[in-house]
Amino acid sequence: MPAHWRLFKNLSRPVSTAEGLAMDDTLPQSVALNNSPPILHLYTFVPSVNVGKYQDIEAALKLDTCRSKGIEFSRRSTGGGTVIMGPDIVALGLGINVDYPGLKKGVGGVFESLSLVLIRALEKLGIKAYFQPKNDLEVNGRKIAGLSAASEAGKSLLFHTSLLVDFDVGLMLDIMHTPLIKIRDKGYNCFSQRMTTVRQEVGRRVPVAEVMDSIEHAFEQEFNIRFKEDNPDEWEKKTISRLIEERYHNQDWIFSHKHPRARMGIGQLKSKAGLLEIYLSLSGASIENVLITGDFFSTSADIHRLENALKWTASRKESIEKNLSSVWQDDMIYGLDVPTLTQAILKAKDNQVRL
Amino acid sequence: MADIKGYNMPDELYYHKDHAWARVEGTKVTVGMNDFFQKESGDIVFVDLPEEEDDVEQGEICGKIQSRKWIGKLVAPVSGEIVEINEDLEEDTSLINSDPYGKGWILVIEASDLDSELGSLMQGEALADFINDEIKIAEEEKAKA
Repeated sequence: MPAHWRLFKNLSRPVSTAEGLAMDDTLPQSVALNNSPPILHLYTFVPSVNVGKYQDIEAALKLDTCRSKGIEFSRRSTGGGTVIMGPDIVALGLGINVDYPGLKKGVGGVFESLSLVLIRALEKLGIKAYFQPKNDLEVNGRKIAGLSAASEAGKSLLFHTSLLVDFDVGLMLDIMHTPLIKIRDKGYNCFSQRMTTVRQEVGRRVPVAEVMDSIEHAFEQEFNIRFKEDNPDEWEKKTISRLIEERYHNQDWIFSHKHPRARMGIGQLKSKAGLLEIYLSLSGASIENVLITGDFFSTSADIHRLENALKWTASRKESIEKNLSSVWQDDMIYGLDVPTLTQAILKAKDNQVRL
Repeated sequence: MADIKGYNMPDELYYHKDHAWARVEGTKVTVGMNDFFQKESGDIVFVDLPEEEDDVEQGEICGKIQSRKWIGKLVAPVSGEIVEINEDLEEDTSLINSDPYGKGWILVIEASDLDSELGSLMQGEALADFINDEIKIAEEEKAKA
């Protein structure tokens, strides 16, 4: 007989960042300390943005613009960068024991396992997605979902996903600091070429509820389980209230200074392949994000592949070369080689400033 | 210097099952993350270190380590007081990847109960068995995929 997991599904209203994130944080705690089976939380947020646990929120976001537009901002407890949320973006929190049968082991394994579920869910909607190592789900070279995770109490872990049903690139550029800050049209094109949504792929106004149903069924098939719709018990309610106070209503949590130094830089290099223009976001000595643009010949899928190979890796020359080489194929960028591309990225690094 | 299926696991160190290593010099214990961990995790992006003078218990989470978009745990291999942290990691966390047993050390604990706690850490054959099991699990998962 299939095992039962619990499902907290909220279709009644988009929730505040405090409510949504505190409930997510409670999931792995309940699995580790409250004897709960795995819990899946499917919901949507009010228009909001959250940063990774170790991200500099003031460097990442235009907080005054967030305030004036009524966009909530907060800090989640999993890793990674800035995530825009809202009523048309499915938020997923999962609390599960790392040793759960069928869950692959290790950092890469867990991301891969959960990606398989989401790929199956998107397939049900008629979308052919694939896992872009190390943390994204893509459709034809465009990101449709981002994944992040944290090890929590005991052997439990919290897994977060945001799946784009619809998305407002303009809003993202309004509230996020990016190296493209001064060139709004270029920024719009850059990001819209790198992202897609369920509605864009399917060509109809897919309801958020349909996407949630699809995710729910994909989990059931992938792990051979059945969900039981449920609500937080008394222990969980108390934990949620405590975490709202300790974290999400606490300015010390939201504006935590435990983070690497955030810097951004632009690098230009004339090459045989054409002009290379690199936009780089650095988190300490690591690359948080990189955009490879210019007037060269390539495909958006190949560019995205190269960019992904560099995300969350060391920004040293030898590391950049090694990571680019790991995915490099002849003529990915026509007429360009790895050392030249590395040189352009290092130029952006040399020009780094705090925005 | 022990090589266990391509992972460098120096003989003179003690190992915790959550992949911390411990170098014992008198009552001072230097702590870091082992080669298996750093290879499995990939580039370390950030280390959330405890404060000096904090007391920790063996097996207690005393720090967090971010690689990719994953936040993992640094578990204290022995009990005691944290007397030193590696400030170089604030500038360059990749030291944990490039030199896990040298410049990538994370903290030093003034151990309070070393005699009874060292026995629960791994060395020699027990360590080889543990790493082999970890590798086997990873390979089985890859084969299934």
